[in-house]
Amino acid sequence: MNDLLLAWRNIWRNPRRSILTTLAIAFATALLVFMLSFQFGAYDDMIDSSVRLSTGHVQIVAPGYHQRPEMRKVIDNPEELLQEATMLSTVDAVSLRSEAFVLASGEKRSRGVMVTGVAPHHESKISSVPQQIKKGRYLTEGDGAAGVIGALAAQHLQLDIGDECVLLGSGRDGSIAAAVIEIVGIFKSGVDEFDRSIMQLPLAEFDTIFSMEGAVHRLIFTFAHLSDSQAGAAQLRQGERARKLQVLTWEELTPGLKQSIELDLISGIIMYFILVIVVAFSILNTFFMAIFERKKEFGVLMSIGMKPRRLVVLMLLESFSMTTVGLVLGILCGIIITLVAARYGISMGDSAEFMAQYGMPERLYPKLTLLSVMVGPLLIFVVTLLTALIPVLRIPSLRPVEALRS
Amino acid sequence: MRRIAVASFVVFLMLSSKSQAADGEALVLVQKAFDYWRGLSSYSEFSMTIHRPDFERTMILRGWTKGRSDGLFYVLQPPKDMGNGSLKKGRQMWSYNPKINRAIKLPPSMMSQSWMGSDFSNDDLAKSDSILDDYDHAVVEREMVDGHQVFTVESIAKEDAPVVWGKQILRVRDDFILLSEQFFDEDMELVKEMTAEDLVEFSGRIFPKIWTMRRVDERDRFTRLEYHILEFDIDIEDRLFTLASLKSKKRLQ
Repeated sequence: MNDLLLAWRNIWRNPRRSILTTLAIAFATALLVFMLSFQFGAYDDMIDSSVRLSTGHVQIVAPGYHQRPEMRKVIDNPEELLQEATMLSTVDAVSLRSEAFVLASGEKRSRGVMVTGVAPHHESKISSVPQQIKKGRYLTEGDGAAGVIGALAAQHLQLDIGDECVLLGSGRDGSIAAAVIEIVGIFKSGVDEFDRSIMQLPLAEFDTIFSMEGAVHRLIFTFAHLSDSQAGAAQLRQGERARKLQVLTWEELTPGLKQSIELDLISGIIMYFILVIVVAFSILNTFFMAIFERKKEFGVLMSIGMKPRRLVVLMLLESFSMTTVGLVLGILCGIIITLVAARYGISMGDSAEFMAQYGMPERLYPKLTLLSVMVGPLLIFVVTLLTALIPVLRIPSLRPVEALRS
Repeated sequence: MRRIAVASFVVFLMLSSKSQAADGEALVLVQKAFDYWRGLSSYSEFSMTIHRPDFERTMILRGWTKGRSDGLFYVLQPPKDMGNGSLKKGRQMWSYNPKINRAIKLPPSMMSQSWMGSDFSNDDLAKSDSILDDYDHAVVEREMVDGHQVFTVESIAKEDAPVVWGKQILRVRDDFILLSEQFFDEDMELVKEMTAEDLVEFSGRIFPKIWTMRRVDERDRFTRLEYHILEFDIDIEDRLFTLASLKSKKRLQ
């Protein structure tokens, strides 16, 4: 206890040096807390917007459909499966979807388009498309041969609200499917690939056009929390009917998204290591200087009988105290900055449009979690203590007489 | 040193023999084969069977062709698809559906898609004669099969030619019957293969009755054409190959 007091006093013998070291630690800590929260928040936003746009958290499809989508690979009697699935308490919403690749044609031009049959009522709970209507309206339950189309596809086909669009493709039984659809809405998600290639129809209409006979291609699930999706998928796999089908999580559905997150995390981690190393050098410097300056003091202490080991402990206590103060200060600042940013969001400015291509929202919201608050400070704590050891362990090799003379 | 000299001499020989082979003979062979295949004009009725591991579907179609580039095809059966038609004029194609009574022009991006759900692509129909203009031909092998000489012709896409296949290998008999055609992508990997079987006589012309197109990377997936009626060099008016004619229902009777 006395040693701790002694250490504390020693720190304040040279306030400027100590404050600078502490502030360096505090600054690095705050930065780490904020950056990690920001990254985790951005990942959640990315996953969420991708999930909302197309895939959902979990899907059930016919075996092989994901690897190679073909009209014939369907889920028969999806209503049964729907009931089975809605028993799950963590499930937030479920929707049925079917898809067909068709030739869509406007007055003058035509192009290949992916037509998705959706249940409008369920879709609005799962998908962000209903909120992304830029012109006209989204589908409603009563719609017949009506469709909403991506803004870029509409532009290419020169289609506007009220125009007719001709679809030509093949049905579930291999027959030729054709229909004339009235465009009632145009959506713009910001993801070019999606806006260029997607058209949505009411599921019932899709069923008729493509001779689906009540079958669908996908069951889409969203959960209350992203973290529920793994457990949810596992539970779904237990189901009587789902066992013969394929249950896929968002990671399997969009492997690219997961990979880009991992890649970003790795580059982030490299940056954090560099940050921590810079802090470590600053600590190392401080301690070397301290020991250099205080050689005489150590000589005196040792010649009046202080054990070298106690001196080492004393020095480590000094480092520990400074680090702790720095960490606490840093964590507090980090949390405050993060909370403010989480409240107002961080605008991506000019790069927002670029980010939109990857399904990123315009404003990013950092997310404060126990993990993002603890990981950075813990790392700094360990590294600073280890760095402090290097100069401090040289103390026992000091000879009192020589130290006194210096 | 000597080895290098010998090797380069061999390479020189190979190159020169190759360029020798790429003379007019191969081109004439391919031209004749395609002309024999089509005739000046033709009328046909054939069934098309699309086979998948878990599924098979047969359609009956009727078709007219004239010259090297015009064609008109209709589905007769099954009843659900009756009246669907395709018009090919030059390198352009239109698809007609009677239910919505519209003819749609296929955009370039859709040309590599399957034709009526089969393993034939729209390109196979629209560009089947592009092999004459867009490729360099060379006879690479001659062999005797059943008393006939069979030529293997390697056709390599000309630089900048707007084609899907980097290379095609055709086997043509000395009486200009096309026995098989292999399609290679730009990396010279074999993608799909069409083979002809069952040589019979149609209106005085020996012709393969059965044509099978299969993709090489997938087992148990193919499309088979079987000719029931095939007439060559008949009188067909040019106006048969127009959009108005594509939409007309008279062709179904």
